[in-house]
Amino acid sequence: MRFSMISTIYRKEMLDMLRDRRTMISMVVVPLVVFPLVVSVMLRFSSRLEQNAETEARSMGIAARVTTPSVREALEKTGLAIKEKDDLRAAVEKKESAASVEEKSGVIEIYVDSSNPTSSAAGDKIRTALTELKDQRIRQSLRTSGIPESVLTPFTVKRTNIAGERKMAGSVWGTMLGYIVLLLMFTGGMYPIIDMTAGEKERKTLEAFLASPAARREIVMGKTLAAMTAIFLTAMLTLGSMVYSLKNNRISAKSEEMRNMMRTIPLDANTLAMIVAVLIPVAVFAASIMFAIALFARSFKEGQSYLTPLMLLVIFPALLGGLPGLQLTPAMCLIPIFNASLVIRSILLGEVSTVNFAVTVGANLLYAAIAFVMATRQFEKESVLFRT
Amino acid sequence: MIQVQDLSKSFTDSKRGTRMAVDRVSFEVHAGEVFGLLGPNGAGKTTTLRLIATLLKPSSGTATLNGFDINKEPGKVREQIGFLSGDMGLYARLTPREILEFFGKLNGMANGRRTQRINDLFSLFDMQSFADVRTDKLSTGMKQKTAIARTMLHDPPILILDEPTSGLDVPTARTIETAIVDAKHAGKCIVYSTHVMEEAEYLCDRIAVINDGQLKMTGTMDQLRTATGKHRLREIFLDLLGLPPDK
Repeated sequence: MRFSMISTIYRKEMLDMLRDRRTMISMVVVPLVVFPLVVSVMLRFSSRLEQNAETEARSMGIAARVTTPSVREALEKTGLAIKEKDDLRAAVEKKESAASVEEKSGVIEIYVDSSNPTSSAAGDKIRTALTELKDQRIRQSLRTSGIPESVLTPFTVKRTNIAGERKMAGSVWGTMLGYIVLLLMFTGGMYPIIDMTAGEKERKTLEAFLASPAARREIVMGKTLAAMTAIFLTAMLTLGSMVYSLKNNRISAKSEEMRNMMRTIPLDANTLAMIVAVLIPVAVFAASIMFAIALFARSFKEGQSYLTPLMLLVIFPALLGGLPGLQLTPAMCLIPIFNASLVIRSILLGEVSTVNFAVTVGANLLYAAIAFVMATRQFEKESVLFRT
Repeated sequence: MIQVQDLSKSFTDSKRGTRMAVDRVSFEVHAGEVFGLLGPNGAGKTTTLRLIATLLKPSSGTATLNGFDINKEPGKVREQIGFLSGDMGLYARLTPREILEFFGKLNGMANGRRTQRINDLFSLFDMQSFADVRTDKLSTGMKQKTAIARTMLHDPPILILDEPTSGLDVPTARTIETAIVDAKHAGKCIVYSTHVMEEAEYLCDRIAVINDGQLKMTGTMDQLRTATGKHRLREIFLDLLGLPPDK
């Protein structure tokens, strides 16, 4: 294989690719614009939803039938207006009140509609207020009887998380990072690959190319390298965009602890280098397998219908690999896509073993080589290239 | 310069079974000669051209181009040819200059020679005004000029042209015909496929008529006239296909 020939083909494919609107959308716009936008809108939306529920609960008020003055007083402290209603349950169902409270003999029942965030918010407020009242009563009774309050807490149960901030962040990130990056790698490569295979057949540009002195293997190599660049670029842009949008989103987490976790994304140079090492053979594999499949298609549209099922095949193992609780074994490291997702999670947790890392990278390199040979063989078949 | 010997190609598909697209075809084409390949649609013209351009592998037989065998040295063969397919085959998102640069590099042309040759071809085909415009914005004539310039770019000794004037207006077709005549006078060996009888009569030194994958007759216009007793190429063509003459 001649390097100058491969380099010429690679540069032409890159130029052609960068001028294709569809490719630019899937490769650049989705990771850089759509992804941060979706995250931001989703987080803002969920935050707004919580605020709205509280405001609405206040304006709707609650229905109550209580006889004990202290209970009424506790309910008034919630800030929710109290109304009188005959049918307390129906009042919630008909949304006349956010929640209802009924005092029976020794039982205070709260009626809420859990499917409605407003009703749930009101129910939570009532429950907190009444629990506080109950605790006050117990403490008062103990004092009257001369029993120390400490009888209520014979011992304290304390749970200590021994996982450091890095590990916790790795656990949260590991479940989604591998999945999203792997999936977008395939979707990012899909359009340029269809364009340079089935698209080239459809536009009838392939014949002149094949009649040039470039050997078929050189053409496949040049094209696959360009596809790999697209795939890898998509992965890096997605990674960068995810990290940036989640680190810099002030409302991305409600608690301070969660916010800290988001800020301590474990992406030091070593971790990043290991993730890149895992992703490179996946990029070669993805480029070659999609190349071999899309080449069989006669048109861009047909190429899309061939590659869409492949996306579904990628989603499942990528998602499964990120699930918490799965222990990485060398045997699992042989399953393509799943292994990459699982190893990325282990890298982020800081607990990947050298054996598992090496088996995953090695196995994926082997799959990449097999896929590349398949792509080259496809490209040498007249029945595929001149399929009518 | 081109020797085609008993070249055959069969295709197999589930619907039609095995069929011979090219059946023991033999001919020779010399330097400084335009060899016309005529035949109806599906006769085997394009398959023959694809075989000698090494895009397809023959089922049997062979061809040598400038001394290189299509079966043994397909890479070397491709260095000897300029191939123009019937569909032009231009990259829509690239400009004519970028397309020519790309094919020049594929053909191993050095930077200085490539730039000079590209500029010469732009002048020859009057392409300067659209040399840097994306191909998808060009007219059919402009595209075909780009395609023929790409074919001639590396100054190959052999040109294989599949319907180069198809769908063109008369002035553009004439520009291309003139370039073909000039190439012939420069000693190029040209294989030319067309459906336009007048064009074949005007351009080709020898003509071969192909039908059902088989060569029906090969010769100069005079030889074809003598053999068939017909005068115009259209009449000769219909006669060789076994079709009745025009009323």
